[in-house]
Amino acid sequence: MFKCTINGHEVEVPEGASVIEAFKLLKEDIAHYCWHPGLSIAGVCRLCMVQIDDGPRLHIACNTLVKDGMKITNQTEVVKEAVRWGMDFHLINHPLDCPICDQAGECGLQEQYMKYGQYDSSMAEKKVKKRKVVDLGERVVLDSERCILCSRCVRFTDEVTKTNELGIFNRGDHSEIGTFEDQPLDNKYSLNTVDICPVGALTSKDFRFQQRVWYLKDTDSICTGCSTGCSIKVYHNKEGLFRVKPVFNEKVNGHWMCDEGRDLYKHVNAPVRLKQILKSVGNEWFPLGLERALDHLNEAFSKAENISVLITAQHTVEEYKALKNWAQQLQDKTINFVYWKNNPESFDSFDGLLIRGDKNPNTKGLLEAGFEFADASVLDSSDLVLAPMPENPAVYPKYMEKLEQLSKLQTQLCLLSVSNITQHETINFADGTLAIPMKTAFEKAGHFINHQGLTQKIHKGRVIVKAALGLDELLQAIKIGKWIQPQLLKSRKTNESSKVSGELW
Amino acid sequence: MSESQLLTEHYHKDTYKSLKGYQADGGYEVLKKAFKMEPQAIIDEVKASGLRGRGGAGFPTGVKWGFLPRNDETRYLLCNADEGEPGTFKDRMMMERAPHQLIEGMIISAFAINSPKSYIYIRGEYDQCIETVTAAIKEAYDAGLLGENILGSGFKHDMDVYYGAGAYICGDETGMISSLEGLKGQPKLKPPFPAVQGYLKKPTIVNNVETLAAVIPIIDKGAEAYKAIGTEKSSGTKLFSVSGCVEKAGNFEVPLGYPLMDLIELAGGLRPGRKLKAVIPGGSSAPVLTAEECLTAKMDYEDLSAKGSMLGSGAVMVIDDSQNMVDLLGVIMHFYHHESCGQCTPCREGTGWLSKMVHSILEGKGRIADLDLILKVANQMKGKTICALSDAAALPALSFVTKFRDEFEDYIKRGHQYAAEALHV
Ligand SMILES: Cc1cc2nc3c(=O)[nH]c(=O)nc-3n(C[C@H](O)[C@H](O)[C@H](O)COP(=O)(O)O)c2cc1C
Ligand code: SF4
Ligand code: SF4
Ligand code: SF4
Ligand code: FES
Repeated sequence: MFKCTINGHEVEVPEGASVIEAFKLLKEDIAHYCWHPGLSIAGVCRLCMVQIDDGPRLHIACNTLVKDGMKITNQTEVVKEAVRWGMDFHLINHPLDCPICDQAGECGLQEQYMKYGQYDSSMAEKKVKKRKVVDLGERVVLDSERCILCSRCVRFTDEVTKTNELGIFNRGDHSEIGTFEDQPLDNKYSLNTVDICPVGALTSKDFRFQQRVWYLKDTDSICTGCSTGCSIKVYHNKEGLFRVKPVFNEKVNGHWMCDEGRDLYKHVNAPVRLKQILKSVGNEWFPLGLERALDHLNEAFSKAENISVLITAQHTVEEYKALKNWAQQLQDKTINFVYWKNNPESFDSFDGLLIRGDKNPNTKGLLEAGFEFADASVLDSSDLVLAPMPENPAVYPKYMEKLEQLSKLQTQLCLLSVSNITQHETINFADGTLAIPMKTAFEKAGHFINHQGLTQKIHKGRVIVKAALGLDELLQAIKIGKWIQPQLLKSRKTNESSKVSGELW
Repeated sequence: MSESQLLTEHYHKDTYKSLKGYQADGGYEVLKKAFKMEPQAIIDEVKASGLRGRGGAGFPTGVKWGFLPRNDETRYLLCNADEGEPGTFKDRMMMERAPHQLIEGMIISAFAINSPKSYIYIRGEYDQCIETVTAAIKEAYDAGLLGENILGSGFKHDMDVYYGAGAYICGDETGMISSLEGLKGQPKLKPPFPAVQGYLKKPTIVNNVETLAAVIPIIDKGAEAYKAIGTEKSSGTKLFSVSGCVEKAGNFEVPLGYPLMDLIELAGGLRPGRKLKAVIPGGSSAPVLTAEECLTAKMDYEDLSAKGSMLGSGAVMVIDDSQNMVDLLGVIMHFYHHESCGQCTPCREGTGWLSKMVHSILEGKGRIADLDLILKVANQMKGKTICALSDAAALPALSFVTKFRDEFEDYIKRGHQYAAEALHV
């Protein structure tokens, strides 16, 4: 460890740490754009200026290593003046039309300008004109005039994905970010460039101009897209969920997440959700009131001798525990657990960065819950199959095929589903099949155990479908014969007599 | 004068270009002497000679060589023949008239630093140089002066020519290394410095054409004799490219410390009836000297630096009273704006800003307040960037506006008139 002082405060840093890392460790303010802890050092914004050991020269903190006993400051007039000018150099050719910029509210330029700049730009000359809406690839759009050429996005594609799609073309103040002909920015992690872009130059096609960021709340969670279990923040308001961003987690995902993981909020939003309990009769779906639904459940579960649970690794540790307890109390019945792995052929694959073939957040959690799994063939001879479905059936096609097969056998199903299963066109569900709305991982609290064996917590965020249940809540209701929070379930107005097939909302 | 012609003595002979002609005048004899020395002794000799880099920065050559790590990693020698500094045309003459002199200097230097491979990075527009140097390298290979076991010394060295596409920034040593590596020609962040991690991440020495050639007389006559020429702190001779408002523009080799006014006389003096207004003594990056400062200026590192300017690449641009300082600054600012690689924000934005401000004045749209703004912007571009291009743009702006402020103010006041006149030319 080396000791140094920063603006008079002493701090100990590991050998090999840079001056900017020492500032961060001490939570001392320092302006910077190009430095990013997950990327190599570019040293181009020239904002992180410091003076060392009272010397007259300015050094950049990001490319200077701390030496033992070093005295560092960024509080002298010389440094402050350099940083103020550094800000102005960044701004002279910047559009400064924040009211119509998508980054406003979380813009590095706005933030640092408020801290270090705050004076009128003195440039009277015309700004350099550049391209405004450049389609870089499937998910990302560039506004070159807003770009401050920090090169973070270029370094990301060079160093992290090693796909090298981006480059800085031309020279001087005509430099522009771009892609090579026929090589768009289409890697599986492309949206990280939008996160690390300190300004509104790179925007996500999915999110741009959807919401003002100050109208969004965020909740910490874990991505359910695969067994990596990236730490994320989910952004939402009363209109629903709008985006997902990675949160730094040294042990799991570092600074990044994959693009697919960012799409997982889509199946949570209202238009695609199952919102009330439905029963299938003669290939049509009818809504059930709470009392009738409970009657049905009780009847179904008490009548059935031979019950199977078609379970995936998409539920929480707590839900598996509840499932286990529930089964133990039904000693007089045969209860089989069938562990459904959707894609055994690619299950163990890994792309070397984050993405794993196991598309479940809690495989370890399920395997460690102590179930004895039966062969899938037992499903065919069951009277009743409880199917807590995968959240996003689109990535679980074989699960759907299995349900279809069982329906053909006229097996009665009790589906717990996020998506509006009644919209499924090819399945003719057996009479008496129940479809119960299920909570997504964003609507419940609990734990997942990722592929490393790391137990991670998910937090309850915004509830999108009030009637949705967790697996544990459903089992509890069946067990004690009443709904746990009937007031919540009731709050959806349903017209019991009307037949609902087709669009539900 | 011949004691001062250490490098150019034979340049007038057409034969000097060829291996035979070069050898007839004593060429490659010093190489034989060098091979009998210990490599470290050569480095010590160069250090003792006080030779400073002739490419612009004036860094002591022996000291730079001493920065190489003491291990047996492959190291590279790169000859900087990019010669991009406006006003400079000495390397061109050296390569066209005496390619073998450069090659001999390079083999001696490579032997000293134990480098198996060198490249000569020649400015892309220098077709003639590329041709002569390439031909000379072939001659040298054929004569056993390059390749395996040179002259039976056991030393192996390969040499190649590489050329740029005319970007000034590829003259900066790390810009050149990037270009040579096939990357976009832009300087690299330091540290690490090239002597530790340069071309292909290996220890690398970059020296100017003239620096490498100057190693020959140092090894030939000894550090003492070399040091006896020039001044105490600026030893040896230097080639100056004198251009602008003189009768006979050209290259002149004189001992360092040579009076500037005498150098102008060597170049035929001013044109009849003209008065000296200013001189840029070391390439367009060097702060301009007023006529008065010129009277006492000596062409060496310390005197020019005492006058707030620098020797730079040795490009002396003479400005007489027929010239307008605003016009000249406009040309210089356009150049740096055009050549900034654009990595560092102060340089990328500052060079454009300065150029726009000076051009506003030229178009008759200037404001007196712009002059102070030019000074402020230029001051904030100094000492804050990856390479020295930003400083190189700031220094002329600062010196022109400070030393010739009256002329700038006059131009702004009578701007429309000047601008209209300029249009008629
Ligand atoms: C923008 C820029 C352009 C340069 N152009 C040249 C050049 O054309 N030729 C040259 O020898 N040195 C040039 N230099 C200086 C080199 O970086 C380096 O200092 C020099 O090649 C070292 O050789 P020397 O020590 O023998 O002078 C330039 C420097 C900068 C910052
Ligand atoms: S697009 Fe954004 S991340 Fe990329 S260089 Fe420009 S400002 Fe930096
Ligand atoms: S790598 Fe897996 S856990 Fe991480 S964001 Fe992608 S899908 Fe989600
Ligand atoms: S100072 Fe200018 S030319 Fe040099 S690296 Fe920075 S931007 Fe490029
Ligand atoms: S953060 Fe150090 S130069 Fe940009």
